[in-house]
Formats: sequence, C-alpha cells, structure tokens
Amino acid sequence: MRVLLAASALAAAAAPTSAFAVDYLSAEQAARLMFPEADAFEARPLTLDAAQLQQLDAQGVRGRSANWAVHAARRGGATLGFVVTDEVIGKFELISYAVGIALDGTVKQIEILSYRESHGFEVRLPAWRKQFVGKGSAAALRVGDDIANISGATLSCTHVTDGVRRIVAVVALARRAGLLT
Amino acid sequence: MSLVADTTRWQRRAQPLLGTLVEIGVRSGSGDRQAAFDAAFAALREVQACLSRFEANSDITRFHALRAGECLTARPITAQVLVAAQSLREASHGAFDISLGTAPGGWRCNGDQLLKLDDMVLLDLGGIGKGCAVDRAVKALIEHGVDAGWVNAGGDLRAFGDAEVPVQLRDEARGGVRPFATLRDGALATSHFDRLSRSRIAGGASTKPLLAHVSVAAPLCLWADALTKVVTLSGDTSHPLLARFEARAWLH
Repeated sequence: MRVLLAASALAAAAAPTSAFAVDYLSAEQAARLMFPEADAFEARPLTLDAAQLQQLDAQGVRGRSANWAVHAARRGGATLGFVVTDEVIGKFELISYAVGIALDGTVKQIEILSYRESHGFEVRLPAWRKQFVGKGSAAALRVGDDIANISGATLSCTHVTDGVRRIVAVVALARRAGLLT
Repeated sequence: MSLVADTTRWQRRAQPLLGTLVEIGVRSGSGDRQAAFDAAFAALREVQACLSRFEANSDITRFHALRAGECLTARPITAQVLVAAQSLREASHGAFDISLGTAPGGWRCNGDQLLKLDDMVLLDLGGIGKGCAVDRAVKALIEHGVDAGWVNAGGDLRAFGDAEVPVQLRDEARGGVRPFATLRDGALATSHFDRLSRSRIAGGASTKPLLAHVSVAAPLCLWADALTKVVTLSGDTSHPLLARFEARAWLH
C-alpha cells in the first residue's frame, strides 16, 4: 500500500479548486453494451404534448422536459428495446447517462456517459453547461489528470435515480400512446 | 504527481449503484475488457442485494422483519460484513454502531446465523458495506485477468496492480476539487461530516463527532471505510485500531 499526500492536501482549504471531467462512453457505445444483439439503433425523438406531461405529473413523476432523445434497438426489423439519454444537474455536477429499457418496460441497464464537476455553482449557469453540448468522448474536455478520481463526501446519485424513474414513466406513456414502437 | 496514465491507456465505466456513482477503471488489455467490467458491476449489485435496506429480499430487510429472539441464515457476503462490524463494535467499545443508535447490542452474528436480540434494532451498513463491495469488485476484476485498475464507490476507493490513482477531494461547501493524494495498491476512504453533510453517523452520548474530512488508508477497502467512522467519533488519528488493520488516518 502506498499513499502519497499531495503538497496541498493538508492545507486543502487554502488551495485553489479546479474543475473535473470524465467521459466514460458515447451514447452509441452505451447502446451497444445494452443491446449487443441489435443490428441497428434508430433515432425515435420523442415530443410529449401538454396533456401527456400532465399525465406524468398526475403519476407523481415530473415530466421536466417535453423532448426526449430515444433510440430503438432493432434486430431484423424487430424492436428489442429502447435507449434513452438524458442529463441531470447535482449540487456541483452535471451527469449525462443512458438508460436501456426492455420491451416489458423494465430497466435493463444504466450507464453513466460523462461526469462534469464544476468549480462551484456555475453548474447552474446555462453558459457553463452549453460548452458540453454535442461533445462526445472524442471531443472530451480534459481537465486535470487523465485518471483522477474524486473522493470526499459520498456523491449522491439521487438525481440520476430520479431521472431513471422519469424515463421509465416517459417510455411507458409514449408506448401506450403509440409514439414508440 | 506521477502518473501511469502518460504511457498506459485506461478504460473506465460508471454506473449508479450503492446509492452513489461507482467508477471502475481497468488497464486496456489485448482482449475484451467488457466481461471484466460486467463481472465487477455484477459483484457490486450482489453486495447491494444482500445489504441494502431498500431491497425487498436483502438479508437486512429480512432481519428487520424478525422478532427479538428469532434468527436467519445470512448469505456469505452479509455474514462477512456483519462479523467485521461486530469485531469493530467490540474493539471500539461500541463506538462503531451499525444500528445507528437504535439498539447497539440488539443483534449478533455467529457464523452465518444472524440473531435479533431487540425488537427496536434497525441495521444500516452504509458505513462498511461500500468498502466490502469495492473489495469484491476488485476481486472480480483480478479473476478476469485485469492486472491493474481501481474501483471508486463515491469516495471509497481501492487501486490494485501498478495503477497510481490521483485522488482529488471535492469541496463540499463551495464546489470544485483539490489534489489530495496518490494511491497505489491499497484503499482510501474519505468521509465528510457536518450538520449538512449527506453522511450521517450516530455515536453515544459521550462522543462528540468531528466536523471535518476524515480519510483512512488501509490495504482493504472494507476496513478503510469502517475506520473512517471510528476516527470521526474518537477524533484520534492514532487510534489503536488503525494499527491492527495496517491503516493510517488523516483529518483535513
């Protein structure tokens, strides 16, 4: 076992903070991991109307957004399931993730696509978040060391689990309405 | 900080598990690493299925349904964690308490037999279970031929092989991260305790929890995770229990 403390570690409060970013998978890589037997992933962008958003609210799931990025996993012309990508904002972090939904409506797999730790409260600023829009792993923003890990208080994944619950409800609603096949 | 990353490529994946984000990093090999990732994530899910208070069929949920005087046969993972928690409870004179004050002596684990002694007891393995899960995930990676890598369950981190993992500490008050340490071939657990922190800890009336970051390094993550609570409650970075588990502690 070897632990080397950084020079600033014991005077941590005085050291300047930096941002931090990791890209784990692209949306395509995550979709292939979730449905390895698929031969195609077809985009099925989903737009919910006001009445459908109200239905979600009535179920106790805040719809939050009318537009959802959905792909259907297909094999030989048949649908195997769906992959939905989304992002959530935590206390200081922006997390994008993908959820694989099986045909029976259950969650098949969840993968984190990227994790961005801000310097502070700029995670709430649209301008900070916008710099990551459309950036896949090839255009990764690299801040700090390549393999750095965050420690500290346990990072909560409440935002992600709430987001997964919302996606399950959105996909179920869209399929009942005939919007997703 | 020296970095293996300069010359070696690492593959990383992360999933929400154990109430946090769990990241796994492995050295890229010639073969497909996804089987190793899948086995490690499966090992983490297995620990969650045994220990979570929120899973209907976990041993802990089954234990909560017992009446005082009844017992159940725990799965091997549960028994391992409870026996470790029991030995820490005794060695720390009750300070390490997975009942979080509901009934510290209200349970006992003999081998795989988990006995309920008090109807009031509720168990929460949040202070030791993540460390155990990290150890089991590392074991799964090694069994799948991964020679170097790490598993980080939201601050309970273990590195193995020749991976040198820079650890950054999050500023819980203001955001951002600061360099903290480099870890190689061992585990490092950090907890942050204050009134607003997500981490909760219960101590007896005589203990005065600290308001600080506590980090503990140990060869196994189970002990690093659990010993952060002992150090927090005692305020003693030279606590005699640390030496028993080859551990070191820092307040910062």
